[in-house]
Amino acid sequence: MAVLLESQGLTKNFGKLRAVNGVDYSIEEGKTYGIIGPNGSGKTTFFNLLSGFHQPSSGQVRFDGKDITNTESFVRTGMGVARTFQLVSVFESLSVWENLVLSTLRFKQSSYPRALPFFFRKANQEESLEDCFTALETVGLAGKAEKPTTVLSYGDKRLLEIAIVLSLKPRLLLLDEPFAGLSDYEIGFIMELIQSLSGKFTQIIIEHKISKLITLVEKLSVLHNGSIICADVPEAVLENAEVRNVYWGRGAGCD
Amino acid sequence: MNTLKYPSLRSRPGRVMLETGIVLLGFLVLLAITGFKFYWITDFMIFCILVLSFDLLYGYLGHLSFGHMLYYGTGAYLAASWLVYFNNDPLLALLFAVIVTSLIAAVTGWVAVQTKAAAFALLTMAFNELGSFIVHTPLSKYTRGDDGLIASPGKVFGLLRFGKDTDAFIIVLIILLLVFLVLRILTRSPFGVLIRSVKENETRIQFLGYDTQRYKWITFIVSAAIAALAGGLFVMVQGFVSPRAISTLSNIEIIFAILIGGAGSLYGALIGGVLFMLVKNYLPPVISAAEGLAGFALPQWEMWLGIILLIIVFSFRKGVFGFAVEKAGLLRQSIKSRKGA
Repeated sequence: MAVLLESQGLTKNFGKLRAVNGVDYSIEEGKTYGIIGPNGSGKTTFFNLLSGFHQPSSGQVRFDGKDITNTESFVRTGMGVARTFQLVSVFESLSVWENLVLSTLRFKQSSYPRALPFFFRKANQEESLEDCFTALETVGLAGKAEKPTTVLSYGDKRLLEIAIVLSLKPRLLLLDEPFAGLSDYEIGFIMELIQSLSGKFTQIIIEHKISKLITLVEKLSVLHNGSIICADVPEAVLENAEVRNVYWGRGAGCD
Repeated sequence: MNTLKYPSLRSRPGRVMLETGIVLLGFLVLLAITGFKFYWITDFMIFCILVLSFDLLYGYLGHLSFGHMLYYGTGAYLAASWLVYFNNDPLLALLFAVIVTSLIAAVTGWVAVQTKAAAFALLTMAFNELGSFIVHTPLSKYTRGDDGLIASPGKVFGLLRFGKDTDAFIIVLIILLLVFLVLRILTRSPFGVLIRSVKENETRIQFLGYDTQRYKWITFIVSAAIAALAGGLFVMVQGFVSPRAISTLSNIEIIFAILIGGAGSLYGALIGGVLFMLVKNYLPPVISAAEGLAGFALPQWEMWLGIILLIIVFSFRKGVFGFAVEKAGLLRQSIKSRKGA
């Protein structure tokens, strides 16, 4: 399969702190990937570099063969890189449906000559509205479309956020700790959702607990102090001595 | 197939016209209850246009500017200059003022929207101080410095004279309604939803694939253009412009007005503008009358305005209009639940 996204020597410094340290990473289209690591290991910073939230200090990111190292985040979204946030990020002042429609207001590609027609174009184009509704059905929120977002539970907001990024019809889905702050029941639901999406989308999931990703992903990478210390199928990662050391310490075992 | 009806983000034309009619009616009623002081209400309406333009930037986009008077003042000076140095057509003067001010705002706005919050406020204020200085000193040959420019506009369409109170009232009322109409359509359009969402969570909007900087920039220019229109109208009605029109101090009055009325709503801006002007115009004579009765000096109107603002900040966080909307919502809910029971 074709390589969809790759990074070479990706590094990000915050002052003297090296949050991401020379990461070489590569993923193929259509598969589901996981990134785990203890708190502060650089997972989210790595995502921020892939999605364009931060500019790297050095190194390169390529998406679909194109260099996107210094491309702005909104351009990357247009190319098909969509992400969710560790803290759910939806618009509380809008209804569930409006949250989805918001993403379809945009032109397919941002380019300057098209800025003006934006004021005059029809807001509700059937095709993109169908996409929105399908996305809402996929996450199981279709029945709550007209509810104000404020009345949703945290878990439902997380689902809404996933629906929003699905409506963008991305080629790559970056999920930043999709299970954080959820109940076991909600976690189960989202795990099923991710499973149903795998194959349709290329996904990268960040998580700090190893157990949740074992059944979900085809390849698991472990970040520690900004570097990837191991990347393999989940079962092999579990057996890796260095990973065991980082996660559980020598011998001792919890979580 | 799904049964959901997609709610539209586009306003129905009938609704927009109805709301514009309500605004028209509101100002006519205001005119009647203040005893047909056309001159006053014209002043009120010009201020309301300025507050509306500010609301687009502050209430909708969430950017608090301390330098909005730059665009009002530039509009005023440009309109006056057109009348003095070119010809006396008031509409051409207004058009000239709006276009050139928009170009200036395109430059200052491009820099300003790179920042937010306190940096944005200070940067816009710095631009305003700069503009204020340029008008006052290097350009004093044309602007006559402290003395100001006297301008006499000709007739509008050969019919209405700004010099006549009732004519000026009609022209300004029509322009106010047009501004309201344009902003009403703009703020409820996809563009409007987008800028309100930028206010709530700009990062999220960027990750939906939008170049937020560009939308902020456009909003800034539109806001400045409307402020310039208000400034131009001020010159037409007063026949005069002085450096006061471009002073950063007056910016506080706009912020007061928008806080009183309620930011983020066109009605809030209109109500705030009117209430502020009522306080500003009615309080001084009331205070001097009270002083006459009491026999000693009382604090001036600005202090009472300060007290009103304190009450607003502590009791009506969303302004008078926001408060009314909230109460109406609660009332509707309680009626609904009573019917249900």
